[in-house]
Amino acid sequence: MSAQTGTPSFVPSPPSSRAVDLARTSLRRVRNNPNPIWIRELRQAARLGRTPIILMTITALVALLMTAIGGIMSVAASPSTIGITLFHTFFSLAFFVVTLLGPALAANSVASEREGRTWEAVILTGLPPKTIARGKFLSAFTNISMYIVMLAPVGALSFLFGGVTALEVVVAFFFLFLFALLGVAFGLAISSALASGRTAILLSLLLAFPLTLVAYLGLGVGLSVAANDAWPAVIGGAPVWLPTAYERAPFSLEYITFLVVIPIAGLTVPAWFFYEITVANLTSLTDDRATGLKRWYVVMVPLLTAAIVIPVVTLGNGKPSGSIMVGVSILFSFVVFAFFVFQGDAIGPSRRVLVHWERKKASQLTRFMGPGLVKTISLVFVLGSVGILVLAVAGVAVSLLSPHVTDRQLEAERVVAFVEYAATYLLFLGGFAAWIRTKASTSGVARVLLLVAIFLSAAGPWIVAAIAGVISEGSDEALIVAAPSPFFAFVLVGMLDKAQRGLATIVGVICSSAWALIGLGLFAAASVRAKRIIHEHFAMLSESEKMLAQEDEELQRMDLQQQNLDSAPENALVGQGESGA
Amino acid sequence: MSTISIVDSSLDSVSISATAPRNHSPYAIRVRHLWHRFGAFDVLRDVTFDVEHGQIFGFIGPNGAGKTTTIRIIATLLEPMAGRVEVDGYDVAVDSESVRAIIGYMPDHAGVYERVTVREYLEFFADAYQIPHLGVVETVMELTDLEKLQDKLVVEMSKGMKQRLQLARVLLHDPKILVLDEPASDLDPRARIEMRDLLLELRALGKTIFLSSHILTELADVCTSVAILERGALVVAGPIAGIAEQLERRRYAMAYGHHAAEDRPAQLPSSPQGQPQQASATGVEAPGGQSAVQPAVTPGGVPVPGSARKRLKLRVLTDANQAAQLLWGGPGILEVEVHASGNLLVGYQGSDALIADLVRHLVTHGVAVVGVEPERSELERIFLEVTQGEVQ
Repeated sequence: MSAQTGTPSFVPSPPSSRAVDLARTSLRRVRNNPNPIWIRELRQAARLGRTPIILMTITALVALLMTAIGGIMSVAASPSTIGITLFHTFFSLAFFVVTLLGPALAANSVASEREGRTWEAVILTGLPPKTIARGKFLSAFTNISMYIVMLAPVGALSFLFGGVTALEVVVAFFFLFLFALLGVAFGLAISSALASGRTAILLSLLLAFPLTLVAYLGLGVGLSVAANDAWPAVIGGAPVWLPTAYERAPFSLEYITFLVVIPIAGLTVPAWFFYEITVANLTSLTDDRATGLKRWYVVMVPLLTAAIVIPVVTLGNGKPSGSIMVGVSILFSFVVFAFFVFQGDAIGPSRRVLVHWERKKASQLTRFMGPGLVKTISLVFVLGSVGILVLAVAGVAVSLLSPHVTDRQLEAERVVAFVEYAATYLLFLGGFAAWIRTKASTSGVARVLLLVAIFLSAAGPWIVAAIAGVISEGSDEALIVAAPSPFFAFVLVGMLDKAQRGLATIVGVICSSAWALIGLGLFAAASVRAKRIIHEHFAMLSESEKMLAQEDEELQRMDLQQQNLDSAPENALVGQGESGA
Repeated sequence: MSTISIVDSSLDSVSISATAPRNHSPYAIRVRHLWHRFGAFDVLRDVTFDVEHGQIFGFIGPNGAGKTTTIRIIATLLEPMAGRVEVDGYDVAVDSESVRAIIGYMPDHAGVYERVTVREYLEFFADAYQIPHLGVVETVMELTDLEKLQDKLVVEMSKGMKQRLQLARVLLHDPKILVLDEPASDLDPRARIEMRDLLLELRALGKTIFLSSHILTELADVCTSVAILERGALVVAGPIAGIAEQLERRRYAMAYGHHAAEDRPAQLPSSPQGQPQQASATGVEAPGGQSAVQPAVTPGGVPVPGSARKRLKLRVLTDANQAAQLLWGGPGILEVEVHASGNLLVGYQGSDALIADLVRHLVTHGVAVVGVEPERSELERIFLEVTQGEVQ
């Protein structure tokens, strides 16, 4: 039932396993019980006078630009060339519109509620953070979708000229909606962490602009060259290549990998992450904010590992160590990113979380996936290490077995040397992340200190080497001074086929072992400190509970005494009556 | 009390207990040994008080005393650092969902969605509360007298009407307990009166109302019990009449050299915030405009503490100076002043029976008495007596 839409209460249909029935039930539920925040924001947006003006202005400007380009080109170019040019121009512009406007629209949602002091009223209604997040998402996504729909007739112009098919235009529009989805989710995640609408909009635009540019140039223009190599029908150097590839590339394993699996993963990984971050930020500090994000991480590591391993294994490559190094670097960066994210986890579960676990008889797995800093960082490290190990095994296997590899021994050694350094340095970072969080007053401070530690350990040795002037000597041995830096792993790999390999290997092993030992020590210290903090906190609560229980007993005793006193005269009278009788 | 013990293996056998929720608590709100800290600063220090069902409970204190922090803890928006707060038997730190379902919290200076109508605003919250009756919005609008404004945009409403709308919002889910933080701040006199009448109506409907304000006259009209907070610590709590009586006994104890501790109410502070004031000479306007000085002393010659003196405002139709002459020197009368408005201000020491005697005496001598009222309300007197005017 919805008071806003006047729809009656939703009565669930009899249970059915048919997909059609399930879909129908879901649709009825959405229609009868629409997200209240979504409906309210739509009503508010409908009264905003500037929205149609902005929509009309953008549409008119894009239409003018497209017709101008078409008009100028029609003098010399063929219709199909005009069609292709208009297609790339329109969808490039539309891409920037949705990826910049989407975050900006979403960024204002939660932050403006906090700023306008309406947030507490919403929270106190008992709406779960997930429902609020979905409502806010739907609202911003509906807004940005209106922009896409308004632009649709202009975008369809390109296919009228030829050069691109109707299906390619439809797929391109579909991708616009997907990019809008990501943009909105990104803006919402930022908004959920801030208390000022203007700051949220500014920050989301500051972050969205470079990301959009990198995505456009890297994934658009850059990847189109590789796509053209793989599938010559796809135009190289053209930014909007992906929607055309679905029709132009022949169906194969590569098609499934690069046009289905990787785009789905590329969309799901960040979208799910932004959703979980939003929900965590909307959840009270003393509730369970960790489980959703940990679930995301647990799923993402194997997915990411598979996404790296599959191309390495399937594509014939003469130097698999290079691919593995790139893959390990990606996975390594992902795990380090997770360390930063999980710095926001609570040091231990709150009393509220513990009581809820107890009442629900929560399983050990539920408890493990709940809040608790050390176990969370340990989980992040262990899973990340397993992923890196899988990459190492795959790399060694491909090096030793692939017919494309010439120097099998060297390739395998390179993989092992690189992975060993990466894993041990990761252990250090994990230990440091856990330890510094138990020392720092807030998660923000802990994140900054972790960043400083990474910078000092990664760049510091190179700075020392530069100051000493050893780099300028041009000797490879001199680079050994920088062995404590994780970037030394790349130098080490490069030295394995040279005369200095013995020294470089020894120094590399010493340094990586040192990182591992320090990491283990920090993990142990963090564990001890976290336990002490939790113990002190609960000991204080326990003391408080005891005191309150004693007070209750005392009050009960006094009440009882009072009752006895009150009933004493009556008893006396009764006694007199009895004796009189 | 029924408790459940928790031993979590991951916490190295740390054990805590949590009160199992009780459905029928004798108290609407129980605040016990509540502490809260922002950074290194103790905002609340060992605050303890109870609110019984059906009361309008005034929560008083100067700005920065910790009222809003206490209220936010009661409303489950903050977790207490130590102590326990129960709302209808539910621990706010553990059963926040249950607490949210039975309270209606109206924050101080809360915002409203402005580009919606009154009806749309309430419909949204009705959906958010998942209320299964479509008619609830009409009912609440009728109760809060917002029916005529239902199609008006919120942005076009006055502050008073917005505050009324907020109150309508918190009533949608029919909460047992209303927690209102400065509900009449920024309101004009008419809106304040309307708000007061609405609160009394809600009390008649069986709601418990926990109300914070620093406008004492506003609270004096509606509250049955109060708690006064100063610098994060509770100064006094209980029914207004009970506190006044205890303070009266303490005043006498101080005046006659008895120990006040024997008579002190349970929640009265061990060391009085208002130290006994030195007896002071009080200027009394003598009849005929001459100034006389009358020392404030008890019949036994002991100087009367300032806090033990009460002042009464008398409105008479006849000559005020004549009335002053009739009163001057009477038993229990400490001072008489003729105000420029023609009213008499009478300082006295004693019970209400003295007032009756005083009025009878005047009427017998042909003075037409048309009004008798305390110069300050009981609540104002209590507040001034127990607080030191310090802020944190």
